[in-house]
Amino acid sequence: MQCGNCSVVCSLAPENKPFPRKEMIWAGWGMKDKLIGNPDVWLCHQCGDCSTYCPRGVKPADILSAVREVSYQHYAKPKFLGKILSSPKWLPAAILIPVIIISAILYLAGTLQIPEGPVNYSKFFPHAWLNSSFTILWFLTIGLGVLGLRNFWNDMKKQNPELKITGSFFKNLFSNFKEIMQHSNFSKCSNQKSRKIAHVLVFYGFILLLIVTAFAIYAAVTHQYPLGLFNPFKVLGNVAAVMLFIGLTVMIIKRVTDKENYGNSSYADWLFLISMFLLTISGVIVETARFLNWSIAYHLYFFHLICVWFIIIYLPYTKFGHLLYRAVAMTFDKSVNRDYSKKNED
Amino acid sequence: MNKKVGVYICSGCEIGKALDTEKLCQLASSEQNVAVCKSHKSLCSIEGFDIINNDIQNEEIEKVVIAACSPRAKTEVFDFPENILLERTNIREQVAWCMEPGEEDTQMAAEDYLRMAITKVNNINVPTPFIADKISSDILVVGGGITGITAALNGARTGYKVHLIEKEEKLGGWLNKLYKQIPSSAPYNQLKEIEIKEKIAEIESNELIEVHTSTIIKEISGQPGQFQVSLLNGSAETITVGSIVTATGWQPYDANKLPHLGYGKPNVLTNVEFEEFVKNNPKAELPKNILFIQCAGSRDKDHLPYCSGFCCGTSLKQATYIRELSPESNVFIVYKDIRTLGLYEEFYKEVQKDDQIFFTKGEIQEITEEGSNLKVGVKDTLIGDDISLQVDMIVLATGMVPNGTEDLNLKYRLGKGLPELKYNFSDSHFICFPYETRRTGIYAAGSLRAPMDIASSKDDAAGAMLKAIQTIEATKRGEAVHPRSGDKSYVDLYFDRCTDCKRCTEECPFGAYDENEKGTPIPNLNRCRRCGICLGSCPERVIGFADYSINSISSMIKSIDIPDEFEEKPRILAFVCENDAYPALDMAGQKGLKYSPYVRIIPVRCIGSVNKVWISDALSKGYDGILQIGCKPGDDYQCHFIHGSELTQTRGENIQETLETMMLEPERIRTEFIEITDYDKIPQIINDYVEEIELIGPNPFKDM
Amino acid sequence: MNKTQKPVLVIGGGISGVTTAVEIAEVGKEVILIEKEPYLGGNVVKFNNYFPKLCPPTCGLEINFRRIKQNPRINYFTSTEVLEIAGEKGNFKAKLKTAPQYIKNNCTACGKCAKVCPEERPNDFNYGFTKTKAAYLPHEMAFPYKYVIDDEFCKKEACNKCAEVCEYDAINLSAKEEIKELEVSSVVVATGWKNYDASKIDNLNYSSSKNIITNVEFERFIASNGVGENKLLRLSDNTEPKKIAFVQCAGSRDENHLPYCSAVCCSASLKHALTIQELYPKSEIKIFYIDLRVSGRNEDFLAKVQTNKNIELVKGKVGKITETENNNLILEAEDILSGKKIKYEAELAVLATGIVPSNINIKLNKDSNQFMTDAQTEGIIPVACSRKPMDVSTSLKDATGAALKAIQ
Repeated sequence: MQCGNCSVVCSLAPENKPFPRKEMIWAGWGMKDKLIGNPDVWLCHQCGDCSTYCPRGVKPADILSAVREVSYQHYAKPKFLGKILSSPKWLPAAILIPVIIISAILYLAGTLQIPEGPVNYSKFFPHAWLNSSFTILWFLTIGLGVLGLRNFWNDMKKQNPELKITGSFFKNLFSNFKEIMQHSNFSKCSNQKSRKIAHVLVFYGFILLLIVTAFAIYAAVTHQYPLGLFNPFKVLGNVAAVMLFIGLTVMIIKRVTDKENYGNSSYADWLFLISMFLLTISGVIVETARFLNWSIAYHLYFFHLICVWFIIIYLPYTKFGHLLYRAVAMTFDKSVNRDYSKKNED
Repeated sequence: MNKKVGVYICSGCEIGKALDTEKLCQLASSEQNVAVCKSHKSLCSIEGFDIINNDIQNEEIEKVVIAACSPRAKTEVFDFPENILLERTNIREQVAWCMEPGEEDTQMAAEDYLRMAITKVNNINVPTPFIADKISSDILVVGGGITGITAALNGARTGYKVHLIEKEEKLGGWLNKLYKQIPSSAPYNQLKEIEIKEKIAEIESNELIEVHTSTIIKEISGQPGQFQVSLLNGSAETITVGSIVTATGWQPYDANKLPHLGYGKPNVLTNVEFEEFVKNNPKAELPKNILFIQCAGSRDKDHLPYCSGFCCGTSLKQATYIRELSPESNVFIVYKDIRTLGLYEEFYKEVQKDDQIFFTKGEIQEITEEGSNLKVGVKDTLIGDDISLQVDMIVLATGMVPNGTEDLNLKYRLGKGLPELKYNFSDSHFICFPYETRRTGIYAAGSLRAPMDIASSKDDAAGAMLKAIQTIEATKRGEAVHPRSGDKSYVDLYFDRCTDCKRCTEECPFGAYDENEKGTPIPNLNRCRRCGICLGSCPERVIGFADYSINSISSMIKSIDIPDEFEEKPRILAFVCENDAYPALDMAGQKGLKYSPYVRIIPVRCIGSVNKVWISDALSKGYDGILQIGCKPGDDYQCHFIHGSELTQTRGENIQETLETMMLEPERIRTEFIEITDYDKIPQIINDYVEEIELIGPNPFKDM
Repeated sequence: MNKTQKPVLVIGGGISGVTTAVEIAEVGKEVILIEKEPYLGGNVVKFNNYFPKLCPPTCGLEINFRRIKQNPRINYFTSTEVLEIAGEKGNFKAKLKTAPQYIKNNCTACGKCAKVCPEERPNDFNYGFTKTKAAYLPHEMAFPYKYVIDDEFCKKEACNKCAEVCEYDAINLSAKEEIKELEVSSVVVATGWKNYDASKIDNLNYSSSKNIITNVEFERFIASNGVGENKLLRLSDNTEPKKIAFVQCAGSRDENHLPYCSAVCCSASLKHALTIQELYPKSEIKIFYIDLRVSGRNEDFLAKVQTNKNIELVKGKVGKITETENNNLILEAEDILSGKKIKYEAELAVLATGIVPSNINIKLNKDSNQFMTDAQTEGIIPVACSRKPMDVSTSLKDATGAALKAIQ
C-alpha cells in the first residue's frame, strides 16, 4: 500500500530514493528494467527488517533477493550458463558440464584411471594440468562475468540519468574495501546478529582458502607438493575449513529454523550454500583420505573438483556472484555521490 | 384563585455559611406572602424531602419553590406528583459558591433569585399536554431502494403498519442494477450476491407493509400523528400517517462534465455503467487492460467537493470480479487516497494480493485515443516517474449526488422538502444527534442524508425508523421530541392581538407554523419543539407556553429590588441559554470561580426565545446592562435550535440601534456566545461586562 | 407480535449506550443502562472536541443526561459490570455486579471528603498524567454528579477522615459489592473501545519517551481542563511544544498490530492539528499518513487543513522515532511523493493509535479482530465500536438503529 515503512526501517537505505519501497511498486507493476539495472537491490544485505516491520506482511527482502537472482541470469554470458544454474531441473546439466570437461582434461592428461599405491592426487590429476586448466577456465568465466558487470554498470547509468558519475572506478571500488572487510553494513541489520558472524566466518574462511590455494599452486610449481600435515599453510587451510564449516552450518540451520527473519530461501540460495558446504566437507574428506590412504580417495577428489567448479568457475552465475555485483553496485553508489556511503559513517 | 406556594430553602453545601437563610425565609413569607417557607440543612436528604412532601400532602401546597442547588442536580430526589409545579432556584452554584460568603451583595443576589422564583411560579402553571384526537401509528416510507426496504421491514417488525412508496414499477432501486455487492462482513474476502430478492419477498409477504409502486407524492400536509399524504398512482389516493422516513437515494454524478477524464470517448464508462454492463452481459469478454480512475469528479472543487465514500470499495469490487470473469485481464487503479475505512481494509488487503491488479496514487494528466487503445498519462505517481498506460477501457469511479427531498411536496410554509445541510444532503448538523430533523416527524435516511454504501444505508434505515416510531409515541403522550424530550408544554397563541406579521412563521426553525390565506399563523403543535424562538420573535407578545411566557419572564425581571443609583450597586440581567451556558455557569460555581454579585441570571429555553419586550422591561425597571449568553452561531453552530443564536445576534444589533435613538448607550445590551466547556471564561465575561457598565454609569431610567 | 414487557439491558454507558437507552426510553419502553465506570459518557467525555465542528462532547452529553434525568423509564447503574447473560430473546437473565458504593447517592458533591482525604491516586480521567485524592469527583461534568472513592488507594475505616467530615452521612466505608439479577427482554452490547496499546509498536518508542503520546492522551493534553490546564505542555520539561508531529496508522493497517483501519484517526489528527493552530497559531505541525481517510463532507475539513500553511501533510508512514538529548523526537519516514527519506525533529509526537473493541465476560460471536459480528443469539445486539471501528456520529446512527432492534 506504499507506506514507505520498509525504506525507513532499513538501516542501509540511503536518504534519497531509498529502497525497497520503490522496488516494491516496480515489482508490483512488473517494471523489470527498472529493477534489474538498479544498484539498490545490491545494497540490500537482506537483513529482513523491512519484512519484519512490513504492515502488509509482504516481504521486500525476498523480492529484492529474487531480483538479484534474476540479475545473475540477465547478465550471464553465455546466457545458457545463467539458465542452467537457475533451476533444479537443469541441475544434472550443470553437474554434467564439469564432469565432462574434467574427464576430458584427465583423458588428455592421460590419467583417466585410478592410480596404484599410496594416495597421491597429482598422479591422478597432474598439478600442471589441474592448475592451468582451472586457472584458465576461471579467468574465462570471470572475464565473461566482467562483461556482464559492464552491462550492469551501463544499465545503472541509463536508469539514473540524473546522477553524475565522478571519480575513477577503481578508486571508488577500493573505497568500499574497508566496508566489505569489516562487514559494517551487516552490523546495521538489527534483526539478526548471527548473520554477521556466519558471513564473516565464511568470507574470511574463503579468502584464507584462496590464499592457501594460491600458495599451493606456487608450491606445486616449486615442487614442494604435497604439503605435510603441519605445514603452516596446511594448518591455515584446515583452520579455514573449520571457519567455513561453522559459518555455513549456522547459515543452513538458520535458514531452516528461522524463516521469520531469514525469509524464504530459494533454489539459488541453497545451490550456493550447499555447494560451498560440500566443497568444504569434501575438501576435508579428501585430505583425510590422502593421509589414511582410502581406496575411494580419487573418487572423492573428483567430486571435490566438481564442487570447486561450482564455486569458482560458476561464480558469476550463482549467488556467489553477489560479491561482484554488490561491489559494483556499491561502487556505482560511491561514484554518483549518493549519501549511501555517508550514511555508512554515521 | 391562586394556588398555594411553598418555599424551601436549603442551608447545606455552604449555602448556610454564605447566606442568611432565615432572612430569606422572612422575605418569602412577609414580602412575597407565600403560604409556607421552611429552611433545612439538607433538603435533598430523606428528611428534607419529607418536609416538602408533607406540605404537599397536608398543606395543599401546589407550587413548590426550592432554593438550593442547581436544578441540574438532585433531579431524581425532588420528584413530586405531576400536578405539582416545581421551581428550583439556584443559590448554590450561582450564588453561594461563586460570590463572597456573608457579604451583603451575596445576600441581595439570593433575595432577588427568591423573588424571581416566587414571582415566576405565581405566573405559570403545570402544562397539560396537548394530545390530538386521532393519531395515526402508520408510517410512510418514501423510496423502495435498499434503505426504504430496510426501513419498511424494520417498521413492520416492530409492529407498525408501513406504506412503502416507490416511483418506479418495482422495488429494489440500485440493487436491481448491481452484479455483485462489496463484502460486508468478516472475513471480507468474497463478493456478496445481490441481497434484494429475499428482501422484496419478505416485504411482499408482510401484512403490515402496503407497497405502492409507480406512485408519487402529490402533497403532504399536517403534522406528526396526522400527516395527510396524497398519492398519485394513475388515480389519487390519500392516506394518513403518523411519521415519515424518506429514502429516495441518489444519482451518479453526471460524467458528461468529465471530458478531461475521457468521458465521451469510446470505451470510457462510469462505474455505474460498467456495473450494469456486467450485470446484463456476465458472459461478455472483458478487455485485457482496464483502468479505474478514482475520485472522478469527486473531491474536486469544480465538481463534487466531497467524498462519496463508496467508490473505492466499488472499484475494488469491480476489479475483483473482472479478474474472476477474465483471468487474463489486468486492472489498473489510479487513486488519490484509497479509502477503505474500518474493516473494509481487510477487503482492500485481499484485493491487493492479486498481482494483476495494479495500484498507484496519481493525477490523470491526459487521455488520448490511440487506435482502439486509450493512452493515459499519469503524473505524481508512487513509481517515481510519470507513467503512460495503454488501456482498452477506462472506468470512472464517479460519486453520488443526492436526489433531494423536494418530491415530498410538503405543504409547509417553509418549503416542499427538508432543509439541506450541505451539498444537497439532508443531514443532521449535530454529531451527537444524527437524526435531528427540522421537519419534526420526517426523517431522511440513506444516501439522501449523507453519502453512504449499502451496509451503512441499512443501518441508517433502522435508525431513521426508530425516530419515526418515537415521534408517533411521543405525539401520543403529548410530549416534545428531542432535544426537549418529554416537555409537555406547547405554544399557545392569543390570536386577538396577532397582526399577521409572519415573523413566527418565518423564524420557527422547524416549520411548525403554516399560514392561512390572510397570513395568520396556524401552529401545528405536534411539529413544535418548544424552543420558544417564536415567542422571542413576536412583537405583539401573543405567543407563550403554560410554564414559559412573556409575562412570566417579564414579571421575574420586574420582581427584583433595584438599588438606587447612589448605592453604586449596578444590576445586570443575564439571559442564559439553559443548554450550554447555564451548565457552564454551574461548573464555574462548582470550581469556586467568583464573579460579580450584581448579575441576575434568568435561564431561557434558547437564547433565540428572548423577546425584545424583556429587554425594554429590564431597562425601564432600571437594570444597567443586559447580557445575553447563547451557544455558538455560524457555520459550525452549536445552537440546539438551529438558528436561535443567529437570530439573537441580529435582534441584539437592532436593539442597539433602537437604544441609540433613545440616547442610551448601545453597550447596555451585550450578546456573548460560549461553549459548554467555557466555564473558565464565563466569570471573566460577566466581570468585564459589569466593569464596562460601571464605567458607563447607571441606567438613566433607574427610579423613573 | 410479542410486545416486550421486560426492560432492555444496555451494557455500556458511553455515548452509544446512552443514546440507545435514551432512544428506547423515548419510544416508551423501559431500559436499564449499566456502566463499569462511576460515570456515564465513556471515552468521549475525555475528548476535548469532536471533528469536524470542533465542538465539545459535553454539550451533547448534557442534553442526553437531561433526557435521562427527566425520563422515568431509564434506570442506570454506574460502577456496574455484567457477569452473566443467560436465556433467550424476550427472556434473558442478567447477573450484574456493582462495585462497593463507598459514597452513596445522597452525596451532594460538596467536596469536603476530597479536601480531607490524605491519599492520592493517578487520575485515570487524565490517563494517569495527573493525580486526584482517593475520594474524588471523576470529572467536572460527571454524571451522576457525585464523588467516588477509589477502592485501591483508600485506607477505608483505618483513616475514616472523609466519613467524619461528611455532613450528609453519604459515606459508608464498609460498603460491599452487590450482585443483582435482572430479567430483561434483550441486550444491547455497547461496550465500546479502548485504544491500541502503543507500547507494542516497538519501533515508535512510545514507552521510552515522555514526549511521545497517543492521540487519546493528546485529548487530555490539549483540553483546557486537562493535563496542562489551559496550556499544551510536554511532560519532559513542561514547555509548550511548537513543533508537533502526528503519526498516522500507529499500529493500524498493520498485520503486526491491527490489520484494519480504525476509520477515525485521520479525522482525529486533522482535528488535533486545527485545535493546536487555534491555540498556537505559530506552531508547526506535520502529519505523516499512508492514505488520508476522511469521508463524506468531512472532506471540507481536510480541505481546511490543506489550506493551513502551518500544517503539512506528508505521505509516508513513520517507521522509527528516536529521542534526542534535549528530549525532542526524530521521526523518520519516506516522503513517498518526493522519494526522500526525511528525519523530522519534533518537540511532541502524537501516535494516532486505533480502536480495539473492549472485551466483556459474556459469550459473543467475534471476528478475527475481536469485533462482534452481527450473528449473535437473537436478542443480543452489538452496537457501534463493539461491531466495527466508527466515528461518533456513525456510532450514534448505529445506536439509534440498535434501539429499534432491541424493541422488535
